[in-house]
Amino acid sequence: MLSVKNLSISFDTDEGRITPVRDVSFFVPQGKTLGIVGESGSGKSVSTKALMRLLPGNAKLSPESEILYRTKTGHELAIHSLKPSSRELGRLRGGEIGMIFQEPMASFSPVYSVGNQMMEAIRLHRGVGKGEARAIALDMLNRVGISNAAHRIDQYSHEMSGGMRQRAMIALALSAGPALLIADEPTTALDVTIQAQVLELMRELQQDLGMSMIFITHDLGVIAQIADEVAVMYLGTIVERGATRDVLRAPKHPYTQGLLKAIPSINTLQQRLNPVPGDIPSPSERPSGCPFHTRCPDAIAGVCDRKPPREIAVSQTSAVRCWLHDQDARNAA
Amino acid sequence: MSDVTPDKLNTADERERQKRLKYYSASQWTLIWWRFRRHRTAMIASAILGLMALMGVFAEFVAPYGPTTRDARYLDGPPQIPMFCDQNGCSWQPFVHGVTTQRDPVTLRSVSVPDPESRIYVVLFPAGEDVELLGFIPTNRHLFGLDDPDAKLHIWGTDSLGRDVFSRTVYATRTSLSIGVLGVLISFVLALMIGGVAGYAGGMTDNVIQRGTEVVRVVPIIPLYMGLSAAMPKEWSTTQVYFTMTLILGLFGWPTLARRIRSQLLSIRGEDYVVAARLAGARPSRIIGHHMLPSFTGFIIVDLVISFPYMILAETALSFVGLGLRPPTVSWGVLLQEAQSVRVIEQTPWLFIPAAFVVVAVLAFTVIGDGLRDAADPYSEAR
Amino acid sequence: MLRFVLERLVGMAITMLLVSMMVFVIMELPPGDYADRYAFRKYSGTGVSVTEADVQAIRVELGLDQPMVVRYFDWIGGIVLHGDFGQAFAFETSVVNVIGDKVWLTLAILFTTLIITYVISIPIGIYAAVKRGSAADYGLTIFSYLGLALPNFLLALILLYFANRWFEADIGGLFSSQYKDAPWSLAKLWDLVAHLWLPAVVLAWSAVAYQIQTMRATMSDELNRLSVTAARARGVPEGKLLWKYPARLAINPVVSTIGFDVNRIFSELPIVAAVLGLTELGELLLRAYLDLDMYVAGAILLLLTFIIVFMNFISDILLAWLDPRIKLGA
Ligand SMILES: Nc1ncnc2c1ncn2[C@@H]1O[C@H](COP(=O)(O)OP(=O)(O)O)[C@@H](O)[C@H]1O
Ligand SMILES: [Mg+2]
Repeated sequence: MLSVKNLSISFDTDEGRITPVRDVSFFVPQGKTLGIVGESGSGKSVSTKALMRLLPGNAKLSPESEILYRTKTGHELAIHSLKPSSRELGRLRGGEIGMIFQEPMASFSPVYSVGNQMMEAIRLHRGVGKGEARAIALDMLNRVGISNAAHRIDQYSHEMSGGMRQRAMIALALSAGPALLIADEPTTALDVTIQAQVLELMRELQQDLGMSMIFITHDLGVIAQIADEVAVMYLGTIVERGATRDVLRAPKHPYTQGLLKAIPSINTLQQRLNPVPGDIPSPSERPSGCPFHTRCPDAIAGVCDRKPPREIAVSQTSAVRCWLHDQDARNAA
Repeated sequence: MSDVTPDKLNTADERERQKRLKYYSASQWTLIWWRFRRHRTAMIASAILGLMALMGVFAEFVAPYGPTTRDARYLDGPPQIPMFCDQNGCSWQPFVHGVTTQRDPVTLRSVSVPDPESRIYVVLFPAGEDVELLGFIPTNRHLFGLDDPDAKLHIWGTDSLGRDVFSRTVYATRTSLSIGVLGVLISFVLALMIGGVAGYAGGMTDNVIQRGTEVVRVVPIIPLYMGLSAAMPKEWSTTQVYFTMTLILGLFGWPTLARRIRSQLLSIRGEDYVVAARLAGARPSRIIGHHMLPSFTGFIIVDLVISFPYMILAETALSFVGLGLRPPTVSWGVLLQEAQSVRVIEQTPWLFIPAAFVVVAVLAFTVIGDGLRDAADPYSEAR
Repeated sequence: MLRFVLERLVGMAITMLLVSMMVFVIMELPPGDYADRYAFRKYSGTGVSVTEADVQAIRVELGLDQPMVVRYFDWIGGIVLHGDFGQAFAFETSVVNVIGDKVWLTLAILFTTLIITYVISIPIGIYAAVKRGSAADYGLTIFSYLGLALPNFLLALILLYFANRWFEADIGGLFSSQYKDAPWSLAKLWDLVAHLWLPAVVLAWSAVAYQIQTMRATMSDELNRLSVTAARARGVPEGKLLWKYPARLAINPVVSTIGFDVNRIFSELPIVAAVLGLTELGELLLRAYLDLDMYVAGAILLLLTFIIVFMNFISDILLAWLDPRIKLGA
């Protein structure tokens, strides 16, 4: 349904060119959820924005980057080569792929009612009249569990509570009937109980509507609840990927292992949390070799800081980029 | 092999760390200066303004003649541009042609015409009129002039009375800039008091002051200035007029800055360190001056700098219509008063040269203000 | 909303009251009073010698011997109750007669200027923000700096000069000579429109420069908002998106400074009017000041300020209507 190959993204900034996403490849199967997990600054948002061509003007995709998408009608679309003002891109945005952002408050325009923004999207993509668009919007609001939708539809986002706003945002993203939903940390800004409700809602909706989903988070715990597949990102590269169950049960990459230890559970709640030590370096100071070697407890001196590891398949479904698992290449070096 | 690399890394890291440490521990002013220095246009503007200020301060030396000295042989004369070559060949020293007076065959008026046969050389530091530099150093040396003490050099031409436009502009620069400085200072003091009281006291006092500020803000400012300067008695001396003008300009220039000071003060009134100072029994003026103001001095300075153009433009406009400074005082506005009609542009366009000074000065202050704002705003680096 | 409007109206009244006091003080500032100037003007050159007693008689007749507070209430009472702004001595008639339909001419100039200002500055500001960092953006920035630095009256002179050279036309004034004293007609109205553009462009000059900068700055901020990215992610076409989302909000600061623009326009009006030979309130005000015809000056200053205060009110209402967040807060 969506496949991304060798995606690299660079930005021209005042301090020079930085490349916060390097050589990223992943695949979103039909009707499944891909979870992308990584610390803040690892390039999750940037790579998903690229899927909708939402990057700012100073951003550039490398020539090898490939983003292929199969539309609802079965057309193959090369997103990376679409013209910025093309009709295909307009239809893709919202109509094929919907997007939810971390801050529901900021995602709504404060000067239009929620219904206005929903109906705009519905009319753009479904070619229906005003009355029908309103009916669809109402239905969608009901569906995401907003009570008294007939009243809420004419409210502004600042008149709603945080949880309700995120529900409305989900309704808005889904109102044009996309086949793929990208959710960029949709629950990060919410408190824990509401977070659980929203997660539950999204899982339900996905099943009901048969959508595919890319779910971004920095919390492996959330991934465990919602994702079928997972990709772990560190400094713009996917260091480990595979079926969620496999990766969580037997993480291969030291970074995944570190993230897993950082999840608070009943057993560890009493102890100090166990985060990955050190800070994520900024993309302009990307370490040579394996980007994780500066924080890696198992780094092999003279190897990990020299050359970036290649991707090694560790099972039928999963792969890892780590020198620890690439005995052959290490021996050859 | 592995023990060389980390070592190197460490020293590089260490240097980087030192650099950052220096950055973080630098004072607010050093930081602002560093950022300001990177702003090229603002630096150029500062240099231009600096030159203008020097010109004004040393007007007696820079101007070859006094602001009211007449040259009866050269009325409404066009600029004399020093040249190196003419039909009789070239010389290393720049010169101008002398002027002779002739009668116009048609109008029978006497007009001055350059005499291509006579060369008068331009020299540096010639002896000329006796002046007092900075008001107390007597000298008769000027920056430049002609080597013939009987002839006069008018690089920017003369007006209808034969007064040297360049010299007048130099003196006008002093007047206009100094009026700006004094006006800004007066409005700064007023803003500090009014905004300080409103922001420190808050509540009812603040409300009343806000009403008053509102009144000053809604009345159109130049008509207001005009009303005040119209009240100046005609028989006042130029000095009286000058100081009254600065007072008038300063008297109503404070609302913007007072607002800024007030709102900043209000926003930090409840901060711990202010409350602590108050509990410790410090006097209000001390609390404001020592504890509250320093946290936003940067903004105050920016506001001061960008209020200069308003002062300069107001003075120019008022003098231009005859409600500001009066001759024989020279300011940019007074000079432009002579250039009020289209006929002047056609016949003696050089009388407009002072306008360029107004534009350049206002531009320079605006650019510097913008540069300072960017430098004082810690978030400007993110942009 | 009603409460909001009422509150603003009361605020307006208080401000105008305070303004009228300040204006009255300004009227009283020049040395001598109306009686002195009236007597001087009437009898100077006639050979009649005026005694202090004659002047005193005029003073008593006009009530000028009363204390200042009483005179203030006389003056403001006359204005509020009878629409009587006092006597214009230089014209030997009432101020109302002198001002006459100049109010409408002034308003015509004001609104033409405002329309030109916003029609030019809003789209250009948006364009500059969208093309931020491009050559066009730099050009516009330089232009707007110049707009702030070149005084209007100089611009007026320059335009007059070029109009003279290129069209050999005298485009100053508000009417062609044949209409100057003619009664109002459609032809005269048309003549006015044909003359209005020059003062309007001159007066709009710095307001345009200022508002381009405001618009560019706020639009740049708005463009970076997540709500814009979100709308783009829903497939809203770029042109519609710009107007509906960022521009709609970026206009708010412009709307909220309408009163400020009116203030700036009126501030520059007397001088521009003098250069362009406009016969409206600004020019009259300047003349009144030069003649020390203080009742005329006071009346005009009060009128201009009232228009500014009223436009402030309009801008508050517009803003509340444009931004639903304000309505809720009020
Ligand atoms: N507009 C931009 N210009 C320059 N650099 C950017 C821009 N947007 C993002 N980046 C860089 O990309 C990196 C990754 O950002 P992001 O994808 O937002 O991380 P995540 O979503 O994983 O927290 C950031 O560290 C930042 O340096
Ligand atoms: Mg992110």
